[in-house]
Amino acid sequence: MRCGTARRRISDDLDGALAARRRARLDAHLRTCPACRTYREALGRMQAGVLKPAAPPAEFWAGFERRLQAKLDGAGEGRRPAIGSLVILRRWAWAAGAAVLLAGGVLWYALFRPVMPVTGTWAAYDDVLDPIVRAAEANPELAARIDGEIRASIEEMVPARDEEGALLPAADPLFWEGLSDDELEAVVRGLENETGRGGPK
Amino acid sequence: MDEHPDAPLVEEARHGSREAFTALVRRHERRIYSLALRMAGNAADADDLAQEVFLTAWRAIGSFRSGSSFYTWLYRIAVNASLTFLKKRGREKGRAPFDENLAVSVAGRGPASGPERDSAARELSARIDEAVAALPAHFRASFALVVDQGLSHAEAARVLGCSENTVSWRMHKARKLLRARVKPYLEEVRP
Repeated sequence: MRCGTARRRISDDLDGALAARRRARLDAHLRTCPACRTYREALGRMQAGVLKPAAPPAEFWAGFERRLQAKLDGAGEGRRPAIGSLVILRRWAWAAGAAVLLAGGVLWYALFRPVMPVTGTWAAYDDVLDPIVRAAEANPELAARIDGEIRASIEEMVPARDEEGALLPAADPLFWEGLSDDELEAVVRGLENETGRGGPK
Repeated sequence: MDEHPDAPLVEEARHGSREAFTALVRRHERRIYSLALRMAGNAADADDLAQEVFLTAWRAIGSFRSGSSFYTWLYRIAVNASLTFLKKRGREKGRAPFDENLAVSVAGRGPASGPERDSAARELSARIDEAVAALPAHFRASFALVVDQGLSHAEAARVLGCSENTVSWRMHKARKLLRARVKPYLEEVRP
């Protein structure tokens, strides 16, 4: 077993999610790997130090329930009714009807669709754009507004940046989900360097 | 955990019984609030989130499928509400300040051998709490469900709508990130 695999198994073991067969292999690895033994001890200490938010006092819950009841009083109109078997049947009937209509539409389109020349589409775009471009050339205010709209639409597509303009990949959940073990190690080393400087005095 | 202990109350609530729904609220409010507090990082936002969770549940309970697990459904609403809340507030970059008054130790900590060791353990717990608050939101949700709420990987996967393998990976990655952040403090409490 490789150390990378062993460390994931250690995490599973702490959560009670390690099958007996895998634990036997993990134990065998730990007997021969001091680094992984140290890792397991560290995670064990960390797990023991995890704090759980304390439950608020009893009077808090009385207030919590009172406020919730007041909100529920005003929530009656938006409440969805219970779904019975009749409703489910009705939904299926609607879905079947919609599927038949859709199939008919597709068949009609396949048989009778109008054929349009490709050049016609481009000519239509030119017809629309030309007057706008000419108007913008003649009117600096209009040109500035169009420029602003284009820039705003580009900014919407660009990922978030921090105050210094650097990209923030960490803000994207997919960045973390997609990290390989090696990439995660690089992040971990960076964090260790960072916390190593600010550790306990 | 019993698979469907809430079923009779849920059935009544589905047909409009406020009393049954209130009983369900009482049964689950502490766990939902605790999850919201872990995700939001402060009591005021956790309170708002927990209220929103139960309000959403009341509105949608008519479409809840009997035979499913109510607490899984409720946790799913709570996680989704928390992730939406965090996204809206753009707090993923920041970190909530640690409030010592809101935290108590849970897991079995080893016997203290002196005041210095106790102090180091408290410091470690505070740093772990900060580090959990700084985890990416989906990792934090997995951590909160598995470590704080005691759900199995399978149960957490049902709540989060992902595979058990994904939960396992997230927990592994979360622990690596946490350990990196608190490493110097872990050395201080070495037995």
